[in-house]
Amino acid sequence: MITLPEWIQIIIRAIVFFAALFIATKILGKKQISELTFFEYISGITIGSIAGEVIMGLDSSIMHGMVGIGIFVLVTFLSDILSIKNKKFRDVFEGTSTVLIQNGKLLEDNLKKEKYTIDGLSELLRDKNVFNIADVEFASLEPNGDLSVLLKKENQPITPKDLGIKVAPVRESQTIIMDGQILDDSLRVSGKTRNWLMTELEKLEVTLDNVFLAQVDSFGELHVDIFDDKLQVPAAQTRPLLLASLKKCQADLELFSLETKSIEAKKMYSKNAKKLEMAINRLKPYLH
Amino acid sequence: MTVASNVKQCIATIKGIEAQLSTLALHSSIQESQAMFHEMMMLIDEVKQDLEQRKNELELEEPQYKGS
Repeated sequence: MITLPEWIQIIIRAIVFFAALFIATKILGKKQISELTFFEYISGITIGSIAGEVIMGLDSSIMHGMVGIGIFVLVTFLSDILSIKNKKFRDVFEGTSTVLIQNGKLLEDNLKKEKYTIDGLSELLRDKNVFNIADVEFASLEPNGDLSVLLKKENQPITPKDLGIKVAPVRESQTIIMDGQILDDSLRVSGKTRNWLMTELEKLEVTLDNVFLAQVDSFGELHVDIFDDKLQVPAAQTRPLLLASLKKCQADLELFSLETKSIEAKKMYSKNAKKLEMAINRLKPYLH
Repeated sequence: MTVASNVKQCIATIKGIEAQLSTLALHSSIQESQAMFHEMMMLIDEVKQDLEQRKNELELEEPQYKGS
């Protein structure tokens, strides 16, 4: 067998192991990359270092490296499958979370068990933007070392639900033009046609090849970003304008009811003004 | 501006609102929003009918403003 120069060997090994690692991560999936569990953390490091070792250490055989990586992939894969099937196995191999703060009180025993000092805990809390332990209702240390924090209700960010405000439901926007190319699949998902899209683009006075990105939201409105950053594209304004004209009509009706001398007409106007007022109140969340 | 023409203007705006609500109802991809827009469209339609009736009355009272 001819022995290749060392640098060529390194190139070959690098390419081979790059492919091997690529396949390994494809098999193990996204879960491996997030390194949620102790097991994934270990196998991630080990697979990487085996590959590194074999690529640079020309004495070690490629086959041996492959076997090592293969075993780690296999075991991780099996443990993933077993953890899905069995809760006990999952608890042992993937670890359970440890409660560090409960009912606003520090659990010193658990803290000691995890070998965290109070400084370590406050550092993790600060990481979550919590600077005052008294603000925390519940905190648990996840198997991957992250701290999950539930703040006391009064310290949580305020939501529309807290304020009793009704909000319109929204769905994710669909990207229908990318780099000047129409994405027919997402166009279909959003229930629009090419014809509709062309009309909308014409309304905005832009051409298709000038559009870098276009998205359609759940109200069926088109939002575009164009290549030429100096050009201003008008933002979608139909809904706010609609709300404004509703308000104008409502005011008009109120005015008519004040102006007219006929009692019957007065009644009719104020009844309809009330109807419009109701419509405004109900439509407001949708038209902002 | 006469009363009749003011009312007519208001009717025109109402019609515009109705049409826009109809468009929104058709283009929304969420059923809840669709239902809301549709319901409001019906309500606006009631208002429109009342106003149109009033417009006819006004035109009877002041025939000189008919069609203006």
